[in-house]
Amino acid sequence: MADGNDATGTARSRLTRRALLAGAGGGVLAAPVLAQRLIGDGMINLGLPGGPSERPLTPRFPGKGEMVVHRVRPPVLETPMAVFDQGTITPNDRFFVRWNWDMPTQINAAAHRVAVGGAVRQPVSLTLDDIANAGDHVDVVAINQCAGNGRGFSQPRVTGGQWGNGAMGCARWTGVRLKDVLAKAGVADGAARVRFAGLDVPMVDGAPQFIKSIPIDIAMRDDVLVAWGMNGEPLPLLHGYPLRIVVPGWFSTYWVKMLSTIEVLTGDDDSYYVAKTYRVPVAPVTPQDKGFETVPITAMPPRSFITSHADGAVIALGQPLELRGIAMGGDAALAKVDLVGAGLELPCELGPDEGTYGFRRWSLRIPEVTGDLAQIGARATNANGITQPAEQAWNPSGYARNVIERISLRAQ
Amino acid sequence: MKHWAIILAVLLAGCDSRPEVVFADAAIILPDDPAELPPGPGLQAVVENCTACHSPSTMLQQPQVPRAKWESIVGKMIETYKAPVDEKAIPDIVDYFVAVQAAQVANPGGSAARQ
Repeated sequence: MADGNDATGTARSRLTRRALLAGAGGGVLAAPVLAQRLIGDGMINLGLPGGPSERPLTPRFPGKGEMVVHRVRPPVLETPMAVFDQGTITPNDRFFVRWNWDMPTQINAAAHRVAVGGAVRQPVSLTLDDIANAGDHVDVVAINQCAGNGRGFSQPRVTGGQWGNGAMGCARWTGVRLKDVLAKAGVADGAARVRFAGLDVPMVDGAPQFIKSIPIDIAMRDDVLVAWGMNGEPLPLLHGYPLRIVVPGWFSTYWVKMLSTIEVLTGDDDSYYVAKTYRVPVAPVTPQDKGFETVPITAMPPRSFITSHADGAVIALGQPLELRGIAMGGDAALAKVDLVGAGLELPCELGPDEGTYGFRRWSLRIPEVTGDLAQIGARATNANGITQPAEQAWNPSGYARNVIERISLRAQ
Repeated sequence: MKHWAIILAVLLAGCDSRPEVVFADAAIILPDDPAELPPGPGLQAVVENCTACHSPSTMLQQPQVPRAKWESIVGKMIETYKAPVDEKAIPDIVDYFVAVQAAQVANPGGSAARQ
């Protein structure tokens, strides 16, 4: 990389400027102390095995309440688990944020265009009003979950964003059907996939842009949207204003934000974030394995969480106990939730159904606590008969965690 | 009559499936990244080669991995992400993360090398 071409030079000058800025802070201080003083109004311990486990907790990101900070720029913010006990819809100001590359911090709505091209009859450049007028307006309640949610709990640990379990949220998304937007250009024969790009771009020329594609049959689904609304409000800029893709039941890596390009492909997608990353082994592997076959991570499996009690909480001996939490079916409706533990399997009551792809409440009343409840967990099963596993195969990127999440409660 | 029909149709369309959507300009200001890297061998190489793209927090939050993994991470940054890393700085960068993570082991609950 010492060739000193223009692109490298540009990046280098940015880098140097940043380095100078970093140096201007004066002195070298231990990270947690400074993080606490300047951005964190507190710290939170995510309980990641082997650490480091503490993260700043701050309300200082625009439009956000208190969030767990994994990265400042571009922002990577996690929802504290306590938020999920408050309801099945995650408020916009507590919804997790994840950007792969720097994104613009301002949007000129009148100037924004979405180019629709590739294998289409007539490429078009659409304004935001064109998009809003492309078809019926549709609301979908759907969970948006990072493929790496829970990566920090992988054992052996893997590198990457060290999420706890809060890289997920459920919102009511409003927009038009992607297929109605595609119809403005007309999908040509032989279309195989539809690829999306947003305004977030790499800092260095030649680095892969964050572009993602979905198969054409998924793209043509009635509930796959080009969305501008999130819980009845315009998409916050941190969530992809003015438009983002919504693919209910699929991990959020496909929900491209600040949508600017839609491209119809006639073959496989060889772009980096589809062909090289966001992939999982087709069969279980060990950390020593190399060169195994992988496939893109796509649909979400079922998950569930106990939200009424934290691990280690004290419960009243001899008294009734109310447990509650949230669950999701993934790419199919939630069918049931059971509370499981050693010699324990109790069916839970499900709350209102707000849609196939949303969170659903579960609750369970235990008439009398007769002792400690060790290693209990909620276990979700979806309408396809897929159940959360008690043990989950390790994968090198820590994707798609859905093992039963367990806590222990002490009776006294 | 014809005009009335058109007006009625517009009203129906307006209040039924296509309510008006208003797209306003939007802007935010992100907080600065205040976290500093703790001292260690190779700190200068990390500041010069890594911090343009990585928040110190991200680097310090990684689980402990062997030296070879840090070497492969730096290699990936250069080859895949086209990071303008000075090749002579690679051993220093790797030394730094190995040393900082060794300090973290002494304090597993903490974030980074609390001094």
